[in-house]
Amino acid sequence: MFPEEPGSASRRFFYSSIFWLLVPGLFGLILAAFLYVPTIYDSLPLWLKPYLSFGRLRPAHVNLAIFGWLSQAYVGAILFIVPRLTRAKLYSERLAHVNWWLWNLMVLGAMITLPLGLTQGREYAELIWPLDLLLVLNFVLLGINIWGTVLRRTEPKIYISVWNFMVSVIIFIPVYAVGNKIWDPSGAFTGMTDNIVNYFYVHNLFNSWFTTAGVGLALYLLPKLSDKPLYSHRLALWGLWSVWTGQHHQLYSPAPDWLEYLTVVFSILAAVPTIAFTVNFFKTIEGRWHRAADDVALRFLATGAIFWALTCVQGVAQSFRNFSMAVHFTNWVVGHSHLAFVADYSFWAFGLIYYIVPQLVNRPLYSKKLMEWHYWLTVGGMTVFMVALWIAGLIQAQNWATNSVPFIVTVRAMQPYFLLRLLGGLAAGAGILCFAYNIWMTVRQPVAAPAVARPQTVVVSGD
Amino acid sequence: MKQNLAYLVSVSMISLLLGIIVTIVIPAQDPVTPSPLARPYTEIELKGREIYKREGCHYCHTQQVRAPEANRSMIHQKGDIGPESVPGDYYYQSPVFWGTQRQGPDLAHVASRKGIGDNVAWHMAHFKSPRGMMPGSVMPSYNYLSEDELEALTAYMLTLK
Repeated sequence: MFPEEPGSASRRFFYSSIFWLLVPGLFGLILAAFLYVPTIYDSLPLWLKPYLSFGRLRPAHVNLAIFGWLSQAYVGAILFIVPRLTRAKLYSERLAHVNWWLWNLMVLGAMITLPLGLTQGREYAELIWPLDLLLVLNFVLLGINIWGTVLRRTEPKIYISVWNFMVSVIIFIPVYAVGNKIWDPSGAFTGMTDNIVNYFYVHNLFNSWFTTAGVGLALYLLPKLSDKPLYSHRLALWGLWSVWTGQHHQLYSPAPDWLEYLTVVFSILAAVPTIAFTVNFFKTIEGRWHRAADDVALRFLATGAIFWALTCVQGVAQSFRNFSMAVHFTNWVVGHSHLAFVADYSFWAFGLIYYIVPQLVNRPLYSKKLMEWHYWLTVGGMTVFMVALWIAGLIQAQNWATNSVPFIVTVRAMQPYFLLRLLGGLAAGAGILCFAYNIWMTVRQPVAAPAVARPQTVVVSGD
Repeated sequence: MKQNLAYLVSVSMISLLLGIIVTIVIPAQDPVTPSPLARPYTEIELKGREIYKREGCHYCHTQQVRAPEANRSMIHQKGDIGPESVPGDYYYQSPVFWGTQRQGPDLAHVASRKGIGDNVAWHMAHFKSPRGMMPGSVMPSYNYLSEDELEALTAYMLTLK
């Protein structure tokens, strides 16, 4: 249950992350299909309907994607990277395995409770109280392993990625605890404060965990794959002032105006570390772009960085009150959140898995062709998906602003875009199946299989 | 290096703490009194509100009218999105259902829409068959809820004046 072998916990986190990618992916496709053809849902048997109801399946889709897939892929990569960058053994491989069991218990709990309608009813903070506690415990265990390893390091210099992981866990734990009102089983505040706290948490879930740790992961992988040192080590720590910007998700809301203006100022300030990262990334990869033609892992990383820059441009634009007034509540926002979660953080995670898993299992990757299919299907599909939703959002925004047609007309107008989103999602899902199958076959191969054993496929080196 | 680690921890924590104080604690000090639209919920309304939460209605319906759109004729009738939402509207609510998406219309003032939103029979029929009442709607049908549950949910809808 708790092996001591170095890298074994990292490996398990990667495997379970891929499993938990498939489940919310399927839920997403079901949701997209329901929006395009609502009569599919009507024709389901009555006993099944509660568990597949849109309002229950949507939080299951979101929570499993962020805590089941993406977070576990991050943890797998962090457990692999930190010992290497600090030149020390992981503080405790056993603890990491305990962490893995508890993490999957939490995700399984989410998978069961959310379709049952057991929810705290706050977006991104739906998990019920016992699962909240388990989540905090999981991040504490992860933090002990990161900090414990750093404190025992033999490499005196701490690389930027490790700084990011260290900051990320210590900020995210209190953010989650406050945002989910961890001391109260109901998990909710009363009145306006409830929403202010909710969006303080939502924004910092992105910033202090997915972005701060994600930037750390990207800055580890980039010099490795482009075989070039990082352009600059003096990178601003993203997480620190973005702590202040949560309320920009709710502009023109009943919250005080001064708070909205304050968060807008800090959102604009957040463009500084964004630009720093973007410049750093593209200056490092400069002169190495040809490698992305052959190396799918690097291509995913670079594509993710381009989409990340776009996420930040959109993010700053959306924090202006007049632009927010137009696109907030529309499908634009759904496009934006998939841009962040899928087209950048998940793309980075794909790159990391392609780079790390073959090393962990000491086998070459099964198929380069499948990797190419994964890249083109998923990138192509997500691009169609997101562009369709952005267009849909702008049309909704215009329809609502001119206020000349009844609301139901603006709902019917979404149909072609819902179809495009569904088709894009299907393509992206097909790509993800190629990815999961490829990793499955990689792991199932005999150790260090000779290339001649598979004459029909091109075997690529794992390193 | 130990000093650097201590510096890192303290700067992160101070930044976080200031963020919490300025963006959460200080706004929470603003005195809020219930608006004329807010009143304590009855037992059945509270039950309906729990069903609203359980079924995730807030993922597609906001309860938040922003100043620039206040009193627009956005839903079916003239001016029917209703007045701008104010903090006092949410005085008795936990959690609040401000929402972030309008796959369906805003419901902050649904019970003020004459003949539709204030009509018990319309709500009951609409929950069971959304497309029967509103062709082109993408809302799931809630025919799996019991009559009691639908009545409670309707009672809650009628509090959204």
